[in-house]
Parts: sequence; structure tokens; C-alpha cells
Amino acid sequence: MFVSNHMKREVITISADASVLDAQQLMAEKQIRHLPIVDGENKLIAIVTDRDIRSAIPYSLLKESGNTQTKENLGNLKVKDIMIVNLKTISPMDTIQDALLLIQKYKVGAFPVIDENKKLLGVLSVRDLLSSFINVLGINEPGTLLCVLMEEKVGQLKKIVDTITEEGISFGSVLVNRHWDPNQRAVFIYLLTNNVIRVKKKIKDLGFSLLDPMSWYIDSISQNHRQN
Amino acid sequence: MKKTGYLHDNRYMLHDTGPYHPEVADRLLAVYEGIKAQGLLEYLTMIPASRADINWIEAVHDFDYIRRFEEICLSGHNTFDDPDNCISMDSYESAFLAVGGILDTIDLMMKGKIDNAFCAVRPPGHHAERDKAMGFCYFNNIAITARYLQEKWKIKKVAIIDIDVHHGNGTQHIFERDPSVFYYSIHEHPSFAYPGTGRDFEVGTLGGHGFTKNSLVLPGQGDDTYYMLIQGDLIPAMNQFEPEVILVSTGFDAHIDDEMSDIKVTTNCFSWIMQTIMDLGERHCNGRVISILEGGYSLQRLPELAGNHIKILLDL
Repeated sequence: MFVSNHMKREVITISADASVLDAQQLMAEKQIRHLPIVDGENKLIAIVTDRDIRSAIPYSLLKESGNTQTKENLGNLKVKDIMIVNLKTISPMDTIQDALLLIQKYKVGAFPVIDENKKLLGVLSVRDLLSSFINVLGINEPGTLLCVLMEEKVGQLKKIVDTITEEGISFGSVLVNRHWDPNQRAVFIYLLTNNVIRVKKKIKDLGFSLLDPMSWYIDSISQNHRQN
Repeated sequence: MKKTGYLHDNRYMLHDTGPYHPEVADRLLAVYEGIKAQGLLEYLTMIPASRADINWIEAVHDFDYIRRFEEICLSGHNTFDDPDNCISMDSYESAFLAVGGILDTIDLMMKGKIDNAFCAVRPPGHHAERDKAMGFCYFNNIAITARYLQEKWKIKKVAIIDIDVHHGNGTQHIFERDPSVFYYSIHEHPSFAYPGTGRDFEVGTLGGHGFTKNSLVLPGQGDDTYYMLIQGDLIPAMNQFEPEVILVSTGFDAHIDDEMSDIKVTTNCFSWIMQTIMDLGERHCNGRVISILEGGYSLQRLPELAGNHIKILLDL
């Protein structure tokens, strides 16, 4: 769950003296939105994002400008004129959870990852976080989701886990969700199998109820409605 | 009345999945008994299985995968590639007979000896990938059949309609770049049901873009959703594609009493679905419809579902 396992290590960078138009072209070519700027020793100096470029050169201006002088001025605009120097970074030892909270807090799309000497090691983007969560949920592997409603009391999940283990089924993921009834938890168990008839029956025999996902959805709506 | 073939062979029951597996030999007995109970056997052309030529299986599967399957069966292992896939010594032969029987059925139809057919085979096929067994499936029977139709019988456009409650990942992946095979599937939403593919944004890639269509059904839904999606998605897709032959991956596991899924389709709606497919077959391909068994695990419901299925094929 560390940033170092999920970041992109092959980072495309740009020089501070490059023109903004070149930066824009590079981003389009490589389908990226962030370009770190490093010095000769690979130390991070700043970052430029596609949003900074769009703010500096509104698309309409670029497209409609028939004026050679304006075009020349735009061509003269350098990355160093618009790059962000005071930037948020993370360490490879930060966790994915840290990165999620930081992205939410700072409302950014990516973090440069640097070591203690400010050397650039990689970039962690929202896209990388999504990939790691697809992995955590196990949904890149074939399986079936069980939705089990259980009392909020110690030892409930153990019974379920034991039952699934007895059936020799592997877990993709287990998510515990808050329920509107404070005494209940909705547990979503992703099982890496097609064969769920027996395990469903055993769970029901233990006294748990399997949530009907649609009534869960409809109940949540009515619950939210009441709260509002 | 139509001339309908019924592929049935006791050797399909030799594929032994053990005592705790839902995909059991008794499924085929339930199918047979249901057809017999409705007094339909006398109208059917019974088709026995023959062993497929390995070249046809290689039209879809990697040679190394086929060898791997053979070796694991002969070595006495009881699972292949995943704990879901329970096997016995005879599974490899059963799988060859499943493919061979279906290809013989195709020959009978293309020679005009029968109009359509139901192939009650085991093991099922639609989850099998080019190089991987998945979800009780080893050879992708329906994919091999589509290739056979194209290569041996020079059929240009084949439609595969998959009504099993699970998405046919294998079939979709095999044809997703191919505009000559249209893959349509209606199944339980992949966030809830195996195998987790078949989302509505999966529409084919490259040259096959637009030749894959997935209709998703949320858990707890039933007939009304099926009526709506088949009328709104399947019929227009087929009318546009104009297939020359329709192959059906027939799963009965969306039935309300089938515990494998959370979908609640009634027996009557299954008949309506098949009748709708037959109407599409009449409209586009002279009634050339071959139905191939996939899932369906309720031994109580399989007899009536299979009987009704045959009745519609016979046009009784």
C-alpha cells in the first residue's frame, strides 16, 4: 500500500526554458497532464499542468489569433513563466491512503514523488490510485459479489470467513459498509468463484440475511431523502 | 412444424465434477426427461456425438492450452486452472464430444436435413478463454462453432445471442475485434455476478467496434427488464447486423428458482425470449438457429424449461 509500488517511475519532464507551446504539445503526445521540471541533478524544481497552460493560453486565443505578433508572444512564453514552484509532493514511503486524503485535501490531480534530497522518483496520479483500487477490490479477477447484512457485534465476520474458507473459495475483497441502522453492517464480499450456491445457503443457515442489492439501493435513497 | 435436431449423448455425463458441484451430469437427464415428459421426443431428430477434429478446436484455442487440458485430465487432477473447474479423467473426451456433436449438428442444418437444433452438451463453453479454463468451461463450444460455420460453410455473418445469466467473457474476447461475428449478451450486472465482465461500455474494439452488445440486469430484476432490453437492444442490433446464422448460448440460470443468480426470470419469459430469437431467425436467416446449452442449475426447473425450449424450436 505504499506510493512507491503504484507510482509511475518513467517520468516525462521538461526544461524550465522550454516554450509553453512545446509543453502543451508534449502533454498531448504522451497523453499526460503533469510535467515536472527538474535541474541537472534530477532535483525537482517545479511542475506545470495542462490546467496552468490552458489558463496561460486560452484555446480560443491560440486558435483565432491571426496576428503574427500575438503568435510570436505566445511562442515566447516559457514554462518558467507559468510553472508552479510552491508545490505539494509526497514521499515513496507515504501510503496510498495518505495519497487519497492529500489529493482530496489539495484538490490536485497528481503528486511528484521525491526522496529526502528532493530527487524526483516518480509521479502518482489519480489514475494510478484508481488502478490500485481496482486491484484492491479484486474486480480485475472473475468473481461474484455477496452482500451480507450482519449485526454490529464482535465475531460476526469470522463466522462468514470460516464458512467461505470451508468451501475452499478465495477472497477478492471484503468491504464493510456503514448501514443506516447503527446496529447493522452491510458487508460486501467479493468471492473469486462462479460457484456460490452452497456458500450462499450456508450463510443463510447461519442466520445472516443476504441483501437484495436493489432494495438496499432503494432503501438508501429513501433514507437519504428522510435525512434531507 | 420444424425439423428440429436434439444433440444428446450419455458420454457427456462422464465429465464428473464431484459431489459438491452445481454443473452435474443430472442436468442433462433433467433436460431429457423434460423433453420426454412433454411428448416431444418423437418429433425430434436425435443426434449422437462424435469426436471433434482437433483442428477445429485450434481455430479458437491455443495448442498448448489444449495439451495442458489433456495432460491434467489424464494425470488424475480434479481441478483445472481454478478451483471452480472440477474435472475427471473423462472431461477431456467429453469436451471433444461436445464440440464434435455441435459441429455435426451444424452439418445437418447446412445440408438441409434439419431446420434448427438444441445441443444439450456438457461441459459448457462460454467462459472459456483462448488459453484459460474458467467458470466450469474448457472449450468455447459456441466460438468454435462460429468459426466452423465461417470456414467450412462460408457463412459470412454469425450472430451469437447469449442468454446465460453470466456474461460470456470467453466468447466476447474471442470475437471482440471481429465484425463478422456479432456477440450479444444479456446477463446479471457484472458488479454483482461472475465473471465481472460484460459492462455496457464493452462494445468491441478496433474493427469489431459496435459488434459487441451487452445488456445488464440488476439483481432482483426479472421479466419486465428482459422484455425491455431484448426489445430495445437485441432486436435492433440483429435487424441492423442481419446474421446468416444465429447461435444461442442458452443458459437457464436467470430463472427465478435458480440459486446461482439473483435474477428472477419466469418460465414463461424464457419461452418469450426463445420465441423472439426464433422470430429473428425467420426474419434474417431462414430459421437457422442452433441453441447450445451453457448454464442452468435448478434440477427442478430444467425439465420444463428444456421442454418449452424444444417446443418453440419445433414451432408447435
